[in-house]
Amino acid sequence: MRKLCLFAAAVALTSSCTTRAEHSRYFGKTEAPEGQVLRYVSGSEPESLDPQVSSGQPEARLHLGLFDGLTEYHPETGQAIPALAERWEPNGDNSEFTFHLRDARWSNGDPITSHDFVYSLRRGLAPVFAARTAYLAYDIKGARAYNEGTGKAEDLGVTAVDDRTLTFTLAQPVPFFPGLVAHQFFRPVPRKAVEAYGQAWTQPQHIVTSGAFTLSVWKPYNRLVFVRSPSYWDAARVRLKQITFYPVEDGTTIMNLFKAGEIDALYNHVPPAAWIDRLRMTVDHMDKPEAAIDYYMFNTTKAPMTDIRVRKAFNMAIDKVGLAAYERTIKPLTAFSPEGIFPGYPQPVGDPYDAARAPALLAEAGYRDAAGKYDPSTFPIAEVELTYNTNERNRHIAEYVQAQWKQNLQLTVPLKNMEWKTFLDHRAKLEYKGVARAGWVGDYMDPYTFLDLFSTKAGDNGSGWSPPEFVAAVRAANREPDPAQRYKLLAKAEKILLDAQPVIPLATSSTNWMKKPYVKGMYPNPVTLHPWKFVYIEHDPAKW
Amino acid sequence: MVRFIVRRLIVTIPMVLVVVSVTWGLIRLAPGNFYTGEKPIPPAIEKNLRERYGLDRPWYVQYGKTISNTLRGDFGLSLRYQGQPVNTILAQAVPVSATLGLLAYLLALAVGIVAGTYAALRQNTKLDYSSMALAMLGISVPNFVLGPGLVLLFGLTWYVLPPALWGGPEHLILPVLTLSAVYMAYIARLSRSGMLEVLRSNYIRTARAKGLPERQILFRHALRGGLLPVVSFSGPALALLLTGTVVVERIFALPGLGNYFINANLNRDEPLIIGIVAFISIVVLMFNLLVDIAYGFIDPRVRY
Repeated sequence: MRKLCLFAAAVALTSSCTTRAEHSRYFGKTEAPEGQVLRYVSGSEPESLDPQVSSGQPEARLHLGLFDGLTEYHPETGQAIPALAERWEPNGDNSEFTFHLRDARWSNGDPITSHDFVYSLRRGLAPVFAARTAYLAYDIKGARAYNEGTGKAEDLGVTAVDDRTLTFTLAQPVPFFPGLVAHQFFRPVPRKAVEAYGQAWTQPQHIVTSGAFTLSVWKPYNRLVFVRSPSYWDAARVRLKQITFYPVEDGTTIMNLFKAGEIDALYNHVPPAAWIDRLRMTVDHMDKPEAAIDYYMFNTTKAPMTDIRVRKAFNMAIDKVGLAAYERTIKPLTAFSPEGIFPGYPQPVGDPYDAARAPALLAEAGYRDAAGKYDPSTFPIAEVELTYNTNERNRHIAEYVQAQWKQNLQLTVPLKNMEWKTFLDHRAKLEYKGVARAGWVGDYMDPYTFLDLFSTKAGDNGSGWSPPEFVAAVRAANREPDPAQRYKLLAKAEKILLDAQPVIPLATSSTNWMKKPYVKGMYPNPVTLHPWKFVYIEHDPAKW
Repeated sequence: MVRFIVRRLIVTIPMVLVVVSVTWGLIRLAPGNFYTGEKPIPPAIEKNLRERYGLDRPWYVQYGKTISNTLRGDFGLSLRYQGQPVNTILAQAVPVSATLGLLAYLLALAVGIVAGTYAALRQNTKLDYSSMALAMLGISVPNFVLGPGLVLLFGLTWYVLPPALWGGPEHLILPVLTLSAVYMAYIARLSRSGMLEVLRSNYIRTARAKGLPERQILFRHALRGGLLPVVSFSGPALALLLTGTVVVERIFALPGLGNYFINANLNRDEPLIIGIVAFISIVVLMFNLLVDIAYGFIDPRVRY
């Protein structure tokens, strides 16, 4: 069905190309809406508007309007900027952070104090609350124990020194902590409303917000309407009067809405590869590297992928530059952290594409004929599959990789697609044979959010690879107070990962979203999260 | 008649329970859980989640809760949409699907019956052939082709109608057209064949012989018998239409039951799946009952 929809949409695209100016700067109908109103497609229907409950990007985008954090994402770079905290300072080794709050108020007029943060963190970490993103706070002293049910809330390393001063004591040095607390899990929730209405506190009639907007309408699967909050501390900066979020998921439908001028901007990864060349001719297409990666992982617990030479061969046999050209928006990647996202990070380089070396490695691994030359017929191909979750783009990439292996290793690896949750279960239990698809969007702006995927207990990450020396290297890096030196140590850890090759890095993702030229203050940043207070509608076409 | 209805209503309850039980079992068989995501969550958090939502209880306790919820007509809270009662979700989604379905059905009925009857009256003429060819086209073109086609013309070429979303009456036109096309075609074909059969029957010949005006023969005698196939088609068709249509709701991004249903399954949102399945099975059973009752009124040969 998707294919046909895409086909019809493609026809729509070509017909518009022929009837209108061949190289229009804009895509589809371009008329600024009256007043300061933004219409945005945010992705799937939010699980919850409670920042500590939801875990996804679609919700994160909404939380940015309703709730301020201690820090906020910079609209262009995604780095931490002051929000409810006007400044902060770490101690010598980044194991303690003191935040100084500004004079800010909830939308009901109550002051936002450091006690609100203490309350919210205790709430989010309470075992009975069962927050899925609670692990993000495990670096705070006592947090893991409390969340696992062995510690007490009073022992948490968060202290309200006075109404406007908040101190976090961490279990280990966390240099990126100010960036971490911009995450929705750390944004404070209004105690009074939460206690008065329970789970219903996020309904429009009960909700109390700390951000630039309040919620006026929430019709599930239909729309959410945010209106400007007069009590917001930075209200003078906020220019949008209203934001309407449409929870739409179907990519073609979203593109249709954008083309027809029914929405002004949309979220990332929506425009399909087949449209990109046309979209690139417009100023509407937002295409920058993102703090996200596409990769494949090996099941390192099952032969033949237990052999590092086999893993290396499968990695080297893929031309990633070709893949990036084929997929249009992504950037080729040989390392495990996204490229060009973390300034100053000495990112290691993984094995390059080497069509000659790859079969030689397989021969070394024992798959050879009597003459010692690589012989594909000796390879146990029945033990290898490429498993991915059902999705047009995933299939596209898998087919490319399949063709590369066929061409360079003379091996035809069968493709196997699965429904998302079935796939996750299958992968987590290491039931897959050979290779499985994966991807990760950084939780915060630091390479650690990627390396952390493999520093868990063995098996947790879907590859079965997590040796103690890698975990130790990552931990050692985080104990280092000097940021430059720490980056060096993290890069060393990443190199260990690349040398062991439990993964095939494929690409640094691209933001790949659209906005109308009259939407200003919204940038293709690496986290694709937009602090809405900076966004406005420019009605003067001369400034588009 | 009353005994018949009461008997059928009583049978409905165990049937719904069977459907709910099978669904419950199927959910258990599907791998994954509502909380599984790209990054595996730490075991302690998983334990917290399982405790909070009662997934750590023995299966018979969980099953018993589902059945008692169904019997009380309160399906509890959605797992995915936290804090939202399933009943509230149903109350929001059903009117959308029902409005869409009802309008589509009325349109299909009006156009289908008129076209079918005309075709029957003018059998083997150009009008007959062209309307039946059109009906064949309506049956053969699936709504996931028709929908985007209509969007392409009205939404993206002429910019006269919104290509998706739910709001004013203008948002209804394209989805209703898309949804009704296939039913329109079926009804046209059914009413044509029904009418052809009736128009050749003895009682119509008698009516003609008595010298009744053609109009009276058609409206008072022929249509009643000729539309019986349409009535039996209507029960299941209406039930399907009113309970949401996944494809059309997805293409047009409508907040209806079909959209919720597909996502509830993908999200492994058990209470929501159970709620929607129970609701749909009740509606289907009720409409079948209504059709059986309607037979008694329309066809004098049927007795209960």
